[in-house]
Amino acid sequence: MEPNLGTIARSISIRPNREETGLESLQFREEFHRLMIVPPENGSSFTALLELPETQAMELLHSPHSDKGVMVPFSGDPLHGINDDNKSYLPSFNGNLTFPSNKVLIERAAKFSVFASGEHSPETSSVPSDSSANLEKVKSEPAETDSNPNSSQLLVSDPTVNIKNQRPEKRKEREKKGKGCTKKTKIEISQDAEKLPYVHVRARRGQATDSHSLAERARREKINARMKLLQELVPGCSKISSTALVLDEIINHVQSLQRQVELLSMRLASVNPRVDFNLDSLFAPESGSLADGNFPSMVSPLLWPEIPFNGNRQQHQQQWNFDALHRPLWGREEDNHTFITMENSLLSYDSANSASLHSNQLKMEL
Amino acid sequence: MNPKRFSSSTRPSTTVKSRFACGFLRALWRINRQRRTSTSASSREICRRYLRVKVAADVSMASAVGSRRAWSRAILLRKLRNQGQNGTVRVRRMSNIPRMRKRNICGNKCTEEVAGTCQAEQLRKLVPGGEEMDMCNLLGETAHYIECLTTQVNVMRRIAEILST
Repeated sequence: MEPNLGTIARSISIRPNREETGLESLQFREEFHRLMIVPPENGSSFTALLELPETQAMELLHSPHSDKGVMVPFSGDPLHGINDDNKSYLPSFNGNLTFPSNKVLIERAAKFSVFASGEHSPETSSVPSDSSANLEKVKSEPAETDSNPNSSQLLVSDPTVNIKNQRPEKRKEREKKGKGCTKKTKIEISQDAEKLPYVHVRARRGQATDSHSLAERARREKINARMKLLQELVPGCSKISSTALVLDEIINHVQSLQRQVELLSMRLASVNPRVDFNLDSLFAPESGSLADGNFPSMVSPLLWPEIPFNGNRQQHQQQWNFDALHRPLWGREEDNHTFITMENSLLSYDSANSASLHSNQLKMEL
Repeated sequence: MNPKRFSSSTRPSTTVKSRFACGFLRALWRINRQRRTSTSASSREICRRYLRVKVAADVSMASAVGSRRAWSRAILLRKLRNQGQNGTVRVRRMSNIPRMRKRNICGNKCTEEVAGTCQAEQLRKLVPGGEEMDMCNLLGETAHYIECLTTQVNVMRRIAEILST
């Protein structure tokens, strides 16, 4: 089947003259007759490509414009992967390999007539250069054919549009294979590419392309990214796949953290200083009279932060006095080991920012 | 432990953790200074102190974070409002402020409608300042809030350990 068709097409495409179209069409019709008589065994046969019942195909052929007859390989090229897609959904909406509806056919026929009537001269002029142009077009649009089935997923609901979409594809594929094409088909490709009503947007498979859904999609992606971040933060969330459960986990985690803060603040509030601490009493006796232990050892870490926050950096002297103050305390073993470490850092401090001292000491601790 | 040399080039409070620790210790000291007697075992006293410590923890955390984050701004605003209204009552819920919950912004609502209340609502209640945020910002704020809460808990735990031994 295909070789026959190919030869026909090639013969027709080679013919430069428009005047001989009548002859061509006749030849075409004969060939098509022959071809269509043979029942389609597989998708590669021309009638299967046509997907027309004979009568309808004949209608097309007998219409005043000859070049119409060729078109329509609704089903895919066997050599092209899209074939399967087409066949899968074409039967889905018509259930058989026949053309879905007469109405659609007539629509298309009308379209062809529009082309054919208006485009006689361009046809003639374009014929000689068309073969190369079409091949170029074919080369330039392999991606298109690939994307078309994707976008065609969107258009399944509109069989007319789909079919129109498919037809130029198949045309191009057949050209690609070198089978050539009729003048009409070449024109059709060019015309159809211009007349196709939809915008070719590279949408992802199964996704809409209007601005609202794009914005919505961007928003959703932002939210998903944040959710992923949160999942990493909260321990044990990375295994959970559903967002609702992850949110539950996050809420539980935040609640537990807040409760921990409350517990710790209760603990801190209820901690009894062993001795009451008084800043005045601390600062006044700078001599070693504080060795009696009256001095609260726990005050020391509390008091140290006070020095930096005096806001007066010239109080380093005071700070050194403070050190001297606490020195006698360190000899005592009941001092917390941590206090000693903090004190060591303080002692080694010769000249520096008091705040930095404090923060460093805290860093050591923490 | 090795004594450290502190050059003047080391900035004192570069991390949120250190800033929070400084501020919190300072506040703690101030609170403890107000203890009238050394053995104030009355529960009321402890309760009041506990509330003060809690507020101090939140406020010092918020000031350590700064005004960059919506939740820290909310905490600081709340503190300012409370200070302006009433000097004694420090902790007050923002229940008197009408909550403008933007329901239409609550995205993914279908996935969150569980257990009766919307999860986004719950999250908004938990995160300070979360009532007026859309979902996207709410999640970002929650992430930062969780980080800071963890820091806070660690610092407070360490301080409590130090002080209680």
